[in-house]
Amino acid sequence: MTPLLEIRGVSQRFGGLIANSDISIAVGRGEIVGLIGPNGAGKSTLFNLIAGVAPPTEGSIWFDGEDVTALPAAQRCRRGIARTFQVVKSFETMSVIDNVIVGALARTTIMREARRKAWDVLEFAGLAARAEVPAADLIPSEKRRLEVARALATGPKLLLLDEVLTGLTPIEAQSGVELVRKVRATGVTVLMVEHVMEIVMPLVDRAIVLDLGKVLVEGRPAEIVRHPKVISAYLGDRHAVGA
Amino acid sequence: MDKTFARRRRRDLITALGLAVIAALVPLFVSDVYVQNIMVLTLMYAALSQSWNILSGYCGQISLGHALYFGLGAYTTALLFTKFGVLPWFGMIAGGLISAGIAMALGYPCFRLRGHYFVIATIVIAETALLLFQNWDWAGAALGIDIPVRHDSWLTFQFTRSKLPYFYFALALAAVAWLVTFWLEDSKWSYWWRAVRDNPEAAESLGVVVFNSKMGAAAVSAFLTAVGGSFYAQFVSYIDPESVMGFQFSLLMALPAVVGGIGTLWGPVLGAVILIPLTELTRSYIGGSGRGVDLIVYGTLIVLISLARPQGLVGLFAPGRKGTAR
Repeated sequence: MTPLLEIRGVSQRFGGLIANSDISIAVGRGEIVGLIGPNGAGKSTLFNLIAGVAPPTEGSIWFDGEDVTALPAAQRCRRGIARTFQVVKSFETMSVIDNVIVGALARTTIMREARRKAWDVLEFAGLAARAEVPAADLIPSEKRRLEVARALATGPKLLLLDEVLTGLTPIEAQSGVELVRKVRATGVTVLMVEHVMEIVMPLVDRAIVLDLGKVLVEGRPAEIVRHPKVISAYLGDRHAVGA
Repeated sequence: MDKTFARRRRRDLITALGLAVIAALVPLFVSDVYVQNIMVLTLMYAALSQSWNILSGYCGQISLGHALYFGLGAYTTALLFTKFGVLPWFGMIAGGLISAGIAMALGYPCFRLRGHYFVIATIVIAETALLLFQNWDWAGAALGIDIPVRHDSWLTFQFTRSKLPYFYFALALAAVAWLVTFWLEDSKWSYWWRAVRDNPEAAESLGVVVFNSKMGAAAVSAFLTAVGGSFYAQFVSYIDPESVMGFQFSLLMALPAVVGGIGTLWGPVLGAVILIPLTELTRSYIGGSGRGVDLIVYGTLIVLISLARPQGLVGLFAPGRKGTAR
């Protein structure tokens, strides 16, 4: 069976800067995959390439057996790729439920269905009590939840999470982790960018470590955390020698 | 859970129906032609501002060039009637379609611009069109077009003896513009438009094709504005470029919505009811020699409102619905 998402030899250059260089990775159906790496490793660039913000300089992106390299973000959403934003981008003047309805409209244009779907997703994400509140009035952790809810309402096959757990209190992060597990339990594949290792590692089935725009290592979390290359990328060569 | 939404919709519809009935009865008690004239203009601007609100309020693409579509509606109707004898009713539809087409043709390059740059483009385009019409001999150039008055008839939409037919048509126009907005509010379009306004990048990621959404808003908005322009041409029966395409019309369409509540269902109506009588009264009573006093009143009001209630006056009537300042 083909993987859900396959990235083949993707490079992205911004002028002279090479943000991603010849990256080839695959994400299987039903997996939770972590995309990690130190700052400037090229995680966000790769993430945006998958979401369709811009086409890559080289290489191709395959989703569900189809070449989606040339498709814009809105088209990819309809194919089943949904994303959240690292810096939350709520529709601030709209209520929470209306925010989610926008997502639900990617699958149906019948308002009654979209509204019902949005309510279901809000219940699922634990935001139903805040449905009528303007998004601007939510606290940061609720805004993160709203990002996830909105993305889920589009009925994705692949959910891209961009640092949804970063900057939360331990309790908030824990309930975030539970939400991600719940999402996967509904059959949605998850690819998440994080740089807080201790949160991601217990959650993901597999981790891909990027460094300097290249895939450094990939494997199961237990292997990754002990891998000398990873330690040296995060902490410097001195620590890697001891490992 | 969903009942609040349904209840709100029903309440809006009943309120609108009530207001329309009251408005329809007012002329029975008001025979003063001057006051009737103000009422016609108020209803017309309510309709125009409601149309403007679709593109600029809901979709967030602030246009200060809607005078272009107003003028196109007026000119299409007047030219078709005087040159080809086409009845104004068809001219109205033709004007609407031409305006919608032009709005989309202009939107194609302009919707790539954001924020202030878009606003500037709309002003410049409308002013350019004004200059073109001032120099277009076939369309009467700067002298304009005098619509020949035949006899009072609904067929030619001309009434010299009474203003009441105009009043009822303006009321219908305002009602249609309101109903279109009301209908749009519970459609995918209004959700897409508001998403585009609040955050185009997030909207795109949720499957909203931002560009097409803007084009849709522009077409609907321009169509309705042009119908208003057609009506105005019939109402005043003489048009020239400055009197139907001048910059002041762009402002007069935007201000009621801004004062009443931009991007809201009731904002344009409320704003028009407050602003238009005010501007007409100040113009005739304080105006005359001291021209511009009405503009001072306008300016003061807008400054006060933007300080005290940036989300518009409509927020005063719905304490339960918290608005958000933008």
